[in-house]
Amino acid sequence: MIDLLGYGAFFLTTALIFSLVTLGLNLQWGLTGLFNVGLAGFVAIGAYTSALLTTPDDPARLGGLGLPILVGWLGAMVVGGLAAALTGIATLRLKSDYLAITTFGVAVVVQLVALNAQKLTGGPFGIGFIPRPFSGLAETPLLFNLSNLAVVSAVTLVVYLALQHLARSPWGRVLKALREDERAAVSLGKSARFYRVQAFAVGGAIMALAGALQAHFIGFIAPDNYLPILTFQVWVMLIVGGSGSNAGAVAGSVLVWAIWAGSGALTSVLFSPEQQARAAALQIVAIGVMLCVILLVRPTGLFGDRPRRPRLGKHARMAPSEGGSGS
Amino acid sequence: MSQTVLDVRDLEAGYEPGVPIVRGASITVDKGEIVVVLGPNGAGKSSLIKAVAGLVPISRGKVLLDGNDITAAPAHTMVRLGLAFVPQTENVFPLMSVEDNLKVACGILERREAPARIAEMYAMFPDLARQKRSAAGNLSGGQRQMLAVARALIIHPKVLVLDEPSAGLSPKFVSMVFEMLSAIRKSGVTILLVEQNAKAALAIGDRAYVLVEGKERHEGVASTLWDDPVVAELYLGQRPLKPEAGGAA
Amino acid sequence: MSLQFVVDGLLAGSMIGLGAIGVTLTYSILRFSNFAHGDFMAWGAYATLVCVGAIGALFGKVAPIAPLSFGWPLIVGLIAGMAFTALLVLLLDKVLFSRLRRQEQAIIVVMGSFGASMALRSLLEFIFTSRPTYFSRAIQIAMPVGLGIRITPDQIALLVLTVVLVVGVHLLTTRTQTGRSMQAMSQNPALARVVGIDVAGVVRVTWIIGAALACVAGVMIGILIQIRPFMGFDMLLPMFAAAILGGIGSIPGAVLGGLIIGLAEAGAVQLIGAEWRAAVSFIILMAVLFVRPIGLFGVRER
Repeated sequence: MIDLLGYGAFFLTTALIFSLVTLGLNLQWGLTGLFNVGLAGFVAIGAYTSALLTTPDDPARLGGLGLPILVGWLGAMVVGGLAAALTGIATLRLKSDYLAITTFGVAVVVQLVALNAQKLTGGPFGIGFIPRPFSGLAETPLLFNLSNLAVVSAVTLVVYLALQHLARSPWGRVLKALREDERAAVSLGKSARFYRVQAFAVGGAIMALAGALQAHFIGFIAPDNYLPILTFQVWVMLIVGGSGSNAGAVAGSVLVWAIWAGSGALTSVLFSPEQQARAAALQIVAIGVMLCVILLVRPTGLFGDRPRRPRLGKHARMAPSEGGSGS
Repeated sequence: MSQTVLDVRDLEAGYEPGVPIVRGASITVDKGEIVVVLGPNGAGKSSLIKAVAGLVPISRGKVLLDGNDITAAPAHTMVRLGLAFVPQTENVFPLMSVEDNLKVACGILERREAPARIAEMYAMFPDLARQKRSAAGNLSGGQRQMLAVARALIIHPKVLVLDEPSAGLSPKFVSMVFEMLSAIRKSGVTILLVEQNAKAALAIGDRAYVLVEGKERHEGVASTLWDDPVVAELYLGQRPLKPEAGGAA
Repeated sequence: MSLQFVVDGLLAGSMIGLGAIGVTLTYSILRFSNFAHGDFMAWGAYATLVCVGAIGALFGKVAPIAPLSFGWPLIVGLIAGMAFTALLVLLLDKVLFSRLRRQEQAIIVVMGSFGASMALRSLLEFIFTSRPTYFSRAIQIAMPVGLGIRITPDQIALLVLTVVLVVGVHLLTTRTQTGRSMQAMSQNPALARVVGIDVAGVVRVTWIIGAALACVAGVMIGILIQIRPFMGFDMLLPMFAAAILGGIGSIPGAVLGGLIIGLAEAGAVQLIGAEWRAAVSFIILMAVLFVRPIGLFGVRER
């Protein structure tokens, strides 16, 4: 019973960290219409930044500044936000596909740096001894897990409330308006672009914060944690929850993580060890198909609150040629 | 007795279901005629001929071409059925050469027939022959209109449908375009056109319709329509020189 | 610095360029960035591998065509693989992409391609496991051709094949009615319909060309390096970078972009080490986006 409770806390903590990433993505995609297929890169940036800032000095690599955990989290947000801002500045004057491709590239490069810049990142073995909050409680796993859950819940709640507030603010309304008409957003020039860069940067900062939380919760990071599959999982979480809705983002994250962890546990029971890699592959196939099916039959997601109106878009495009003088 | 080429009956059409822009319009075009569709801003003139050309969903009514029902035909089959449409703007492929713009429309012609047809078009529009290698995007507004019309004519259409061929052109080119249409009619092509420039269009037209709120309100001989008091009140009283922006809304 | 990197770069550039043609065609005609394109390569390579295996089972061991490392089974397998890849892609278009396109939000299609990419790749991993395999384990002797450059007969054959395919596709798209229809579709889809072009037909041709070339690129990777489920996914960034560098929509641009990136990668491998290879395309991509986002042969959008 205690075990179950402990596992429940562990599960929820992980799910809530995922929902933080999903919230960041929802700000970028759901609210602003910016497509980020490299979010694993931003999560990794946060995790590594915080790890470098807070771990004790390590002669084998640079840094290990031994700073407080909170400084690590803040640092993660700053660096993650900056990286996202740079990505946005490079691409947001162009069509949305360029942003998608560039973010994809960011994830590839971050993965490469994590693997190869041994002096900075510890290479394939990653970074260990990341200080964990409440490590004094590690003797009693249940208490430790519950206190971590409390911290992660609090952070998630704060981010959630802040995002809800932002979405209703004039800032959020401008973003929504820009999302509806990409062409206008591009042609409006600098001011519109600046709004979108801001949204992309804040989203990136939230993802980096999630990465940092995860790093300090587990106490150990390695490049393998930030493969494209992470990006994919978070996208499925957002689409299942319904892009545009923060509550949906959280609900989708918990639900998809439950499916993922559950089916993972099931395959480890059902399949022999040598077949497990294959079963894991099949698990990904199933989730990929699920993403496509949701996009096809219910693009607003299970909890989505924003009906898409593609017909309107078409009408708006056709209208200028309906009348008006040719130029 | 003249023969009806295009027969549009009680047509209802619009971009969004339940929001018709064309509301029960009926028009006919006889062989060898130029028929002009006039109307105030947002009357649905462009939508009417786009629906005829298969570009706007039709929710009611019929379109007959030479007696064949072409109502539900997809837009890309219209040229094969004998209806050639010239859109108002962006009616050439800007990055392709003039020659390729003509060639791309020859898809339904016999392989051997295409070069001869292209040569005929060059004979008809010497300006195009001179520029056949240059990109269509580099042509002047009037020349682009010529190219678009030549591309439409190349397939021997039963009816040529034009959406405001004079829109956006300078006055010099406007008169050139109408002279060109007049000449094309003399060669035996049937023409249906929508125009803002009512006076010039009526000068070359045989018959005209005035469309109001998606339905034809008035029909008459082009030369006398200008003097009709009903038309004057309906349309000419507010003869728009300003563009019809957002007309469909 | 040894000039060997020229050969390595041209080969890498061929693979990237053949893939980038598909990416650029998909973008200019179907109007979305296809994140599943790399996985078409992997599927093509595995399909060819299965065909070669089947031929081996039917006819026994076939001697290679000297001095190449492979015999006619690989050539037949490649043709079958191209056909299979094209069918697979057409099927994917029917069940997924064509329906997503109807929602009229380009980025939804991109997202669908991302999901399809994951599913396709993991399906390969499920069927064939993630262990690398090879068309042939024979080791070829590289011939010296002067200036310190060495090249194997396989490499020469594949470079020639690339040239033939690129010229063929270029002629197809510039000199034939099909090619003109494709150009027309990329410039103005609405007008293309008006002049009588069957949009569905052009879409099919686009997919078939992209899929067939992706299969060839995948088989090239298989012959020169190895076959594994991630082989195409790892090519995605270089392919996108090549298509953007060359100018979206331009086939010569895609090939030239591929060669530039291939050569830059090979040079970087020699100068700073193989582990940083993947960063080269990203740096070139960023440079293009900042300096000349329309690419070398691109045209400003209307």
